[in-house]
Amino acid sequence: MTQLQARGVVKAYGRTPALRGVTLDVAEGEIVAVTGPSGCGKSTLLHCMAGILRPDAGEVTWRDQRIDLLSEGARSRLRRTEFGVLFQFGQLVAELTAAENVALPLLLAGTGRREARTAALNWLEWLGVADVADTRPGEMSGGQQQRCATARALVTEPRVLFADEPTGALDTLTGEQVLTTLVRLAREQRTSIVLVTHEPRIAAYADREVVLRDGKIDQTGLGLDVSLAGGQR
Amino acid sequence: MRPAALLRLALAGTRTDSVRVLLTALSAALATLAALAALTVLAIPKPAGDAWAQSEQYRNALLREPGLRGGTAFALLLLCVPVLALAGQCARLGAPARDRRLAALRLAGATPGQVTRLAMLETGVASLLGTLAALAGYLGGRELFDRPDARGQLALPTDVLPSPWSMAAVVLGLPLVAALATAVMLRRVTTSPLGVTRKANRERGPRPWAGVLIGIGVLAFAVGGSIIRYDRSPDGPPVGTLLALLAGGGLTAMIGVVTGTGWISHTTGRLLRRHARRPAALLAAGRLTADPWAGSRTFAALLAALIFGAGAAALRANFALQDQLTREQNRLVGVDEGSDPFYLATMDLVDLAVAVAVAIAATGLLVAVVEGIVARRRAYAALVATGVPRGTLARSIAWQSLLPAIPSILLALAVGTFLSRGLFGEVNQSGTAHEVCDASAALCGDPATRPQYTRIVTSPGVSRAPEVPWEQLALLGAGALAAVLVTVGVGLLFLRASTAVEELRTA
Repeated sequence: MTQLQARGVVKAYGRTPALRGVTLDVAEGEIVAVTGPSGCGKSTLLHCMAGILRPDAGEVTWRDQRIDLLSEGARSRLRRTEFGVLFQFGQLVAELTAAENVALPLLLAGTGRREARTAALNWLEWLGVADVADTRPGEMSGGQQQRCATARALVTEPRVLFADEPTGALDTLTGEQVLTTLVRLAREQRTSIVLVTHEPRIAAYADREVVLRDGKIDQTGLGLDVSLAGGQR
Repeated sequence: MRPAALLRLALAGTRTDSVRVLLTALSAALATLAALAALTVLAIPKPAGDAWAQSEQYRNALLREPGLRGGTAFALLLLCVPVLALAGQCARLGAPARDRRLAALRLAGATPGQVTRLAMLETGVASLLGTLAALAGYLGGRELFDRPDARGQLALPTDVLPSPWSMAAVVLGLPLVAALATAVMLRRVTTSPLGVTRKANRERGPRPWAGVLIGIGVLAFAVGGSIIRYDRSPDGPPVGTLLALLAGGGLTAMIGVVTGTGWISHTTGRLLRRHARRPAALLAAGRLTADPWAGSRTFAALLAALIFGAGAAALRANFALQDQLTREQNRLVGVDEGSDPFYLATMDLVDLAVAVAVAIAATGLLVAVVEGIVARRRAYAALVATGVPRGTLARSIAWQSLLPAIPSILLALAVGTFLSRGLFGEVNQSGTAHEVCDASAALCGDPATRPQYTRIVTSPGVSRAPEVPWEQLALLGAGALAAVLVTVGVGLLFLRASTAVEELRTA
């Protein structure tokens, strides 16, 4: 069943068009990889679908509700409750410990401090980084940081996880581990994942691959070759 | 590297770098103007005549009376403190971008020494531009204000010029000091081709040694005050010892208050972290414990101005009491000449200097708040993207500023009051005996009738402690707090731009 829909989404930065009418459906529990060359609009599409950016034209719908028409506060609430967002860089608050970082979305939702910490510790354990629970990001490896960020994105048990190059800053092995964890989550909890990547190896984890080129969907399917789609310049 | 290439690289950069250079130049210009003004006051020659002779060519008593000129010059020099603190804050503006630029230069083959020299050169050249502009402004201002009034008196000492050597020392020395300060600050910074790292070995957080420093400062002032009050030596109190006690004590107490802010930040942050229920408080607590010295850096100039302001308020209370006791004595003998407004009017000028210092310090505060937001924009942008409301971030920034600011402001006001009280102590009015005439001047003047119509009225000596100037202290505290609130409010205007999603696209 389709949960999230983008219909004819258009977005430009000044005079530079980023998306030129993209339509994409994401079903419950589905993993969709958005790939394509640099500057093709992958991240912009993810930001529009997650309600971080408002499209210039077109619609983004979450369970029959127009996200693009919501106020900024309402979109923030949606991201806190229904969505999880994962980035390549700058995700953790440097001054907070791993457990505090993970507990943050729950505290925002009004969960008590003790319960939030317990939930955070559970997720950190599930992701294999419980040993760094009371460590600050600066003292963790890149892989540990990314797992903590993953825990923070998942701690509210979102229905959709938006991941923008989540393994871009990791070595191959750690990247595979993070991806395996995300796939496991999607399968076990029926969480949909929109995954932006430019690596075919990462896109191969998805149920469906969408190739963007110059702000439009170029191909959709499985095991697509970005270079054949004209992506590599 | 050739000097021209070094200079070009030092002044290359983004718009933020240009703003930093501009603000550094502006701070240097303000400091130079204050220093040149102080030198000019000191250059006024001593008028011929007895010890009470005044420089009648000036309209203002602060310039006319030789005894007051030292204090005027000192107040002007004190204005340099917040200005130099502002320069220090400006040096941090755009630090992440500059760090990346320096790392890129290292990657391109520059040595660590060359990178340090580049940073020194940037600060030095910017400061030199500022000091030269200030010199031009000072010389131009001299011509502009050299207009005697109808009585032939001048508003400013435009008829004297400090020695060329002292002026050159200010104009060239200030950029040199600024450049050297940059080099000293960079001692704890390692610029590698992969980025910039700062040595941080404060695992345990600040210790409460600041209290000892404050105690030493207050004690030094109290000892100085005792020497002034009880010294009966024919040559007067030992000036060198007094100066050492007052300058050393004042500086020690000031350092104590500023470093104490680090301890206050850390302690309040730790307490908040333990009890915080809301994300804004938790974020603020994390920041306060991770970098407790940020508060010290940010509030240093403001606290220095407040110590001075509180000291001045206590001195004003002292003058007011002295005036009141004199009038009471005069009334006893039937002579009330009214209050003498001279010293209180002088204190108005000191208060003005404090207000200017607080305003300059607030500018530095604004730079610090904005810099703190801009430096952490990627983390903030990521939080907003994950659904953290901007209001939560704004509240956390307000917590970060206000939590250490309130106790630090109170501490600075208390220390300033104690210093002043220690130095000036109680007001002592010695007893007097006056002959009062109860008849006409002729009868009182005639030796035959004089004993019949005159009587001796004595007034006992009085020793009274001046009241704590609560009202003025409250005004100072409220003003400082308002300055903090306004700067935080203005700084928060940058939050929206700094949390734009575009910030997530940069590594």
